[in-house]
Order: sequence, then C-alpha cells, then structure tokens
Amino acid sequence: MALLKSFLILPRRCGLLLSSSSYWYYHYHSRSTFLVPPKIRITARPLSQQIQSVQRSKPLSTSLSSVSKYSTCSSDGNDFLRLSDQQLMDQCEMSTFKSSGPGGQHRNKRESAVRLKHLPTGTIAQAAEDRSQHKNRASALARLRTLLALKVRKNVDIDAYSPPQELLQILPAKSTIRGSDCGSQIGPNNPKFALGMQALLDLIFAVEGSISDAAKLLGLSTGALSRLILSDDSLRMAVNELRTSKGMKPLK
Amino acid sequence: MKLSFIRASSSSTLPIFLKWHKTPLSTNCRRPIFSSRISSTPTSSKPQIPLFLRPPTYSASFSELRKWQDWAQSLANSVGSTFVDSDNGPEASLLCRELKWLIEDAVEDHSLFPPMGTQNNDRPIRLRTSLEELYLLWKQRIEERKPFQYIVGCEHWRDLVLCVQEGVLIPRPETEMVVDLVAGAVSENEGLREGLWADLGTGSGAIAIGIGRILGSCGRVIATDLSPVAVMAASFNVQRYGLQGKIEVRQGSWFEPLKDVEGKLAGLVSNPPYIPSNHISGLQAEVGRHEPRLALDGGVNGMDYLLHLCNKVSSMLKPGGYFAFETNGEKQCKDLVEYLENDYEGSFCNVNIVSDFAGIQRFVTGFYRRAI
Ligand SMILES: C[S@@+](CC[C@H](N)C(=O)[O-])C[C@H]1O[C@@H](n2cnc3c(N)ncnc32)[C@H](O)[C@@H]1O
Repeated sequence: MALLKSFLILPRRCGLLLSSSSYWYYHYHSRSTFLVPPKIRITARPLSQQIQSVQRSKPLSTSLSSVSKYSTCSSDGNDFLRLSDQQLMDQCEMSTFKSSGPGGQHRNKRESAVRLKHLPTGTIAQAAEDRSQHKNRASALARLRTLLALKVRKNVDIDAYSPPQELLQILPAKSTIRGSDCGSQIGPNNPKFALGMQALLDLIFAVEGSISDAAKLLGLSTGALSRLILSDDSLRMAVNELRTSKGMKPLK
Repeated sequence: MKLSFIRASSSSTLPIFLKWHKTPLSTNCRRPIFSSRISSTPTSSKPQIPLFLRPPTYSASFSELRKWQDWAQSLANSVGSTFVDSDNGPEASLLCRELKWLIEDAVEDHSLFPPMGTQNNDRPIRLRTSLEELYLLWKQRIEERKPFQYIVGCEHWRDLVLCVQEGVLIPRPETEMVVDLVAGAVSENEGLREGLWADLGTGSGAIAIGIGRILGSCGRVIATDLSPVAVMAASFNVQRYGLQGKIEVRQGSWFEPLKDVEGKLAGLVSNPPYIPSNHISGLQAEVGRHEPRLALDGGVNGMDYLLHLCNKVSSMLKPGGYFAFETNGEKQCKDLVEYLENDYEGSFCNVNIVSDFAGIQRFVTGFYRRAI
C-alpha cells in the first residue's frame, strides 16, 4: 500500500543538488567500463505542475505522464537504496507500454507491463510477467534496487576501511570480522541483499577488482569471497566486467 | 426503481446477457452446442466460482495434460497477428502468456506442471476442471475470442483477485489508479478517510474494494450498479475480502439508490460507461462481443453518464468532499472540466485532469467547495 500511495503523496520539501563528488555512476552495460562523475541536477517540481492543474486561461499542456514527479526527502538523497519503496518510487517516472488507441474501456489486452525510470540516474527497470500492473510495479521496483546497487558507486577509503553492517550481513559466518550480532547470513533472495551487494562492489572497485585484497579486508579467504560473488548472477557479472576491463581473468 | 433519464432504463430489469444477445455483434458468437459451467447463462442468481477457487476434484496424466498444452500452444501460435490486424486484439505471444496463467489456475500444484527436467512420469496431476473442459475453454478463448478473464473467472487487479463473469465488466489496469487518487486525497484528510464514499457503477466492485481497504476504521463505501449480475459479482468479491462491514452493495440506477445519503458523502468515484455509441461496433472482439454493452456505451459522444454524474455530484457531496471520474481520454476530460467550470461556476475547487500511466489524460478529480 505504501508503494501505491507514493504516486500521490508529495513529499513536503524537496529540491536537491546531486553533485556530491563521492558518487560516481558506473555504466554497467557499456561495452568498456568507465566512470563518470554525475552531472545530474534534481529539482522537484511544485505540486501544480505534477498533476496538471486546470486553468481556464491557459490551455492544458500535454505531458507524457502526470506521475513523472520525483523528489527526495532524505538529506543524503543519493543513497538511493536506503530509501523506502515510497521514496524511491517518488524518484521514478512510471509508464506502461504505449498501446495504440484510446485504452481504458476499449481494451482487453492485459497490458499490465510496467516500466520505471529512475530519474536521478536514468536507470530503467521493467516487469511484465505478472498478471496485475500492481505486482509488476513491485517487481520492477525490486529490480530497480538491484540495478542501482550495481550501478551507483560510492568512494571507499581503503586505508581506514571498515565494512558497513549491510555488507557484514551478506558475508558467510566464517568471516573473522563478522560479529555474532550480525545474525545469519542474508542471501540473494532477501531484499536487503542489494545494500550489501552495493557495499561489496564499492570495495571491489576501490581495490580495482582484486578479490584477494577485498577478501583480506573482509576477513575471508579468497575462495570464500569468490563463492559469495558467484552465488548471485548480477553480482558476478558486475565483478567480472570490472575485472575484464582491468585485464584480469573473470571469476568462474 | 425510478429511471427517468437514461436509455438503459428500457432494459434495466432485463438480465444483461439478454441485452447482449440482442446486439447485432453477438449474432456471430452465439454459444455453440456445447455447454460448460463457464459459459452457462449468467442469469443464475449464484455467482460463478472462478477456476482457481474450485476444488481439485479432477485429474489427468502428465502426458494427457502435455498433449493439451501442446495443442493449445499451437492453436495460440496459429493466430499469429491476425487478431492484431483485424481489430488490434491480442497477438500470439500474449495468448501464450494467458495459457500459462490458465495452467496456473487449473492445475492444483503447478510446480508439478510442466515438470522440471525431462522426467516423463505419468503420475496423475490434480486439476480444478476436467481435461475436456480445458479443451473447450481454450477453444472459446481462441475461436470465439472470449476474454481470458471470463475463461478463468477472475482478473488480477492491483493486489486483488476479483471474480468476474459474463455480464460484469472486467476491471482495466488504467482504473487501478482511481484508488491511488483516492489514497492521495484521504492521506492527509481525516474527514475523507473516515467518511462515507460511493462507487457508482461498481461492476466487479473493483474500485469500491480498493477504496474500502485504504479508508480508516470508520470509513464506509456504498457500491451501486444497475446490473443484477454486477451487483452479485461485487457482493461476492466484497465478501471474499471480508469487507461486508465496510462496503454495502446496492442495486439501482446511479443516484437512485443513494437518496438517503444525499449531501452526506465524503467522496464519490465512478468509472461510468464512456465509449461513444458508434465506436462500439469497432471494438476488439473480446470487448465488443463479450462484455456487457451496458458497461461500455456512454451515448452519442460517450458523455451521457459522465454529465449526469457531474450534475448531481454537488448535491451528493458534503462541502469539502472529493470526486474522481474516469473518462475516455483528453477530449472528455476537457469537456467535463469546462462543463463543471461553466455550469457550476464556483461550486468546485482544485479541478484537475490526471493522466494514466500510458500518458493519456484519463481522470477528472476535484473537491466540492467548502461552504462559506
Ligand atoms: C465501465 S463499467 C465500470 C465497472 C467498474 N467500476 C470498473 O471500473 O471496473 C460501468 C458500470 O456502470 C454500470 N451501469 C451502467 N448503467 C448504469 C446505471 N444506469 N446505473 C448504475 N450503474 C450503471 C454498468 O453495469 C457497469 O458495471
């Protein structure tokens, strides 16, 4: 329900400049890996523009979609994965696949596919396999979290490195730096995995793809860290793409 | 039932399917000889139980079911793009996806079918309908263009699974947003959240149930429809979600069953029939041949009921009350807004047009101005 409301509830304050130099966007799908500093400016539009107001003096402008509003209420708004579903949804433009014709009562085509575009990063996630638009929206949002984890890189200070809690939670119990207070290991099917995966990728990028260096910092053997990386397809692909770009052998 | 103003009044007491059979479009899709539970007449006063809710009292061997699936798949593939070309209907790939959903609903434990790997065991698979019926149902889907939702007897809409049958409009994905609009309106307004709402022309009860689940503990919804089949389906769905205490379903034409709550509503929503009459014959077969005309035909320019609703909305709502209507698109939205602002100058505020997720201007919303 929270997810749905996000289409309507407009966060109180907004407008934020995304230019913190500690954030880089990793273009995951590009052929050769490169890092670009973000140049994206987010400004939230006022309510009146978000849902088209009707004023008789002015003709209505047609916008692609009235729900293309985004904003964030978090002061550290570029930590996207920490946002609630609702907040993350607020940063997205949602659209369904265009059907020709007037839609509504005219149609029976079960066009329930959903496409989410995360406006701050341009990341697109879509889902079509479910029977309701509502559920496709939830799947697309979950997919978006994974894509963001893969795409948005945070700088890491290796010399003073201490892994964040989310990363500790996805490590196997044998890690020597993992306290017993971490609970049991979180696997790829847990929605919290994305946050841990993001922190792991931040580290692996910081050590330029060296699994053994990363493993040392995480109190694991190189083999144990490799197994963790190989346990999730998207994680494995992201790591291997980085390694390939650095002339290293991919993990198998 | 006093029905002074609408064309529908002439047939208001007739079951919808009779009307449907009288329309010229339906002549080429009379029920064929075979009879099945699903295609039995919708006049019965009992709702049809959707496939997924029936007990798994049938069974078939894996190879029999596999044979059916192969047959169904090739029938779907044989369609190619002919439906798309003739009336912008479904293409083969969509039909194949529907076939998957049909299996989901018909097979008790669909993790068993299709089985993993190539094991070819002939353990019987428990089904919610007979294999014969499955052949029949898929034939109806492809040959008669019967909507998939009438085949399985339900539609997945928002996070709900709503039962539908012939005579009841299948709720559309666009309409899911009406509930979002209401959620937005009630989120910061306790008066609206705890107030009395009405969903006019409720069909399957979709909007009413969606709203019923987001209102506060004192919030109530009255859902109305002229069609007895719709009233039956809506009541069934309300009960399935345990909302009898919150949603009351009433039969009658538009405001007629709401006389006792005049001026008391916190909100009024409707997705009335809005298709212009002369568009009905060109609709895709699933809609034009099978869905009730009473749910689609909005008169010459499709605005008959929307205007009727607008004419009464101010007398039904409390000051500060909210309304949301679904329309056919940009033209109807603009005409409606203009109508509200000219003929009811000063009665409404924050009148908005809201687009659906495909970017089509679809909804008109607003508030009945608070009395000074
Ligand atoms: C487009 S359908 C909408 C159904 C449902 N609200 C939905 O969104 O799925 C329009 C509904 O209005 C009902 N209807 C048609 N004429 C009516 C009338 N005079 N009074 C009340 N309901 C009417 C139809 O039976 C149909 O269920």
